Amino acid sequence: MAKQSSNFKPAGHNKKTAGYYVGKVLINLVLWIFSLSCIFPLFWMGYSSLKLKRQFNADVISIPFKTATLQNYRDILNNADYHLGESMFNSFRTTAISIVLIVLFSFVIGYILSRIRFKLNRPLYIMFLMGMLVPIHSLLVPIYVLFRNLGISNQWYTLLFPYISFGLPMGIFLVEGYVKGIPISLEEAAAIDGSSFSRTLWQIIMPLCRPIMVTVAIIQIFSCWNEFSFALVLIQNTHLQTVPLALTQFKGQFGSDYPLQMTAMLITMSPIVVLYFAFSNQIIKGMVAGAVKG
Amino acid sequence: MLEAIRPKKSVIFLYLLIPVALFIFSVFIPLLTALYFSFFEWKSGQTIYTTVFNGLTNYKTLIGDSIFWKSFGNNIYLVVACIIGQIGLAFVMVLFANSKLAVGKAIHRTFGFFPSTISAVCIGLIWSIIFHSKYGLLNWFVVNVLGGTKQAWLGDANRVMLYVSIPLIWQYIGYYMVILFSAIAGIDQQIFESAEIDGANGFQTAIHITLPMIRSTMLVCLTLCVAGNMKAFDSIWTMTSGGPGYASYVMALYGYTVSFGQSNMGYGSAISIGIFVLSLAVIGGSQALVKRLTRGLED
Repeated sequence: MAKQSSNFKPAGHNKKTAGYYVGKVLINLVLWIFSLSCIFPLFWMGYSSLKLKRQFNADVISIPFKTATLQNYRDILNNADYHLGESMFNSFRTTAISIVLIVLFSFVIGYILSRIRFKLNRPLYIMFLMGMLVPIHSLLVPIYVLFRNLGISNQWYTLLFPYISFGLPMGIFLVEGYVKGIPISLEEAAAIDGSSFSRTLWQIIMPLCRPIMVTVAIIQIFSCWNEFSFALVLIQNTHLQTVPLALTQFKGQFGSDYPLQMTAMLITMSPIVVLYFAFSNQIIKGMVAGAVKG
Repeated sequence: MLEAIRPKKSVIFLYLLIPVALFIFSVFIPLLTALYFSFFEWKSGQTIYTTVFNGLTNYKTLIGDSIFWKSFGNNIYLVVACIIGQIGLAFVMVLFANSKLAVGKAIHRTFGFFPSTISAVCIGLIWSIIFHSKYGLLNWFVVNVLGGTKQAWLGDANRVMLYVSIPLIWQYIGYYMVILFSAIAGIDQQIFESAEIDGANGFQTAIHITLPMIRSTMLVCLTLCVAGNMKAFDSIWTMTSGGPGYASYVMALYGYTVSFGQSNMGYGSAISIGIFVLSLAVIGGSQALVKRLTRGLED
């Protein structure tokens, strides 16, 4: 009996080890296939941008070791018809101004809604909450009609209106929740020392709220840079196109030249890619905080 | 106590004026505009001054419009596909990555999250090339690795919704993974240890311990997933523009086509209101349903 069990044990142990290795291989295989698929397009576009249309159509996957050419980059940078540089400038401008204003407005409103009691406090809070629920695609037609008739569509500042407005609610709720965690005695002490509301707001509260303001900025950078629907209906002037809009022209007009299209995507994606891989931890944390708390 | 820091009313008013006005101007005024014009005939050729009041005609058309309801059905298809695909797969991936057997958890997190930071237009363009009937990567794989024949993936009216939902699912698995990672990290580790001592296997632990413990986070994921797919537009617009025929139309795409493709702003406004009402109903309904279904678990 004793002998039997001593024989059994190593066998059982061996069996477990085999299962352990099978499990380990399977689990890692699934995870790595998924993870690599997520960055594969980046590599694929990277080396395909060094191919010509003819080479790409002959073989979509091969790496052009000997035949690599920068022709696509030259074409895109030299041909003003693609509006790629212009569109990147437009996206930078729209994103930068939107971010600054969203962060400032969210901070001020979030703070006031969190700390100051006044008659319109709850109604305003509910209004922003409802704004978060409005599906943006139900606004495309009316916002087009409204902006067109007021003469404010097709302007450099046109997209600021929807971008700031749709960025505000989440920012406000993040700030509002964050301010609740700051002890109110700080503001009381400041008031007793004779600090005005504005001075307390900007010089005492704002530095404390920096982490949450960074989170708000992170979330909005991506959503402003990538936004497509409002840009599609509000901007017809090719000189005012943002990046996603400029990229869609590669679908129709230059549709069949995929390496060229990939080059354009790679160039316009580069700021986001660099930003992401440089600050991925903060970005992931910020986006998740926004999703869960907002 | 609060009186000490309470500013004058005029100060609050000044601080709130611009952002609140901006918000009302770009969110609520358009909503009212849509509601107003949804009662008018405003087709191509008519200007804003020559619209004709036609009562509930647009809404009657909407209720009988099979393409609109097909689009709505496609939205629901996407919602279901993405709940299973995005949240379901993300949950499995997270369990895998959290197991002691997995190598490189931080890398999976960083790489997996990456596609969700890229614009839907780019994702749509990339997948158009992957799905391309002549030069596509998928056909290359089918021909050279599996030994099959080339297919026009996005040209197949019966399966196009399945194919367009793959990029959507793939793009956001990593996003939900990250949310679930942080939820699971918040569970007391002792619970897992005692489950292990009691002899629970990985599957049992996942179903009976992990899942109930992160129920509220799952509800958040579900809400995000439902809301996200009711507004699907960008990537489908880029991949198929709704085709072939109306096979891959979603509500937003149909509204866009009617309003801008056919210049029928009156009916387009009614569709906008339809999108508004149906989206809210589906989001609210799904939440109520889940709360009802999970209420029993809590007790």
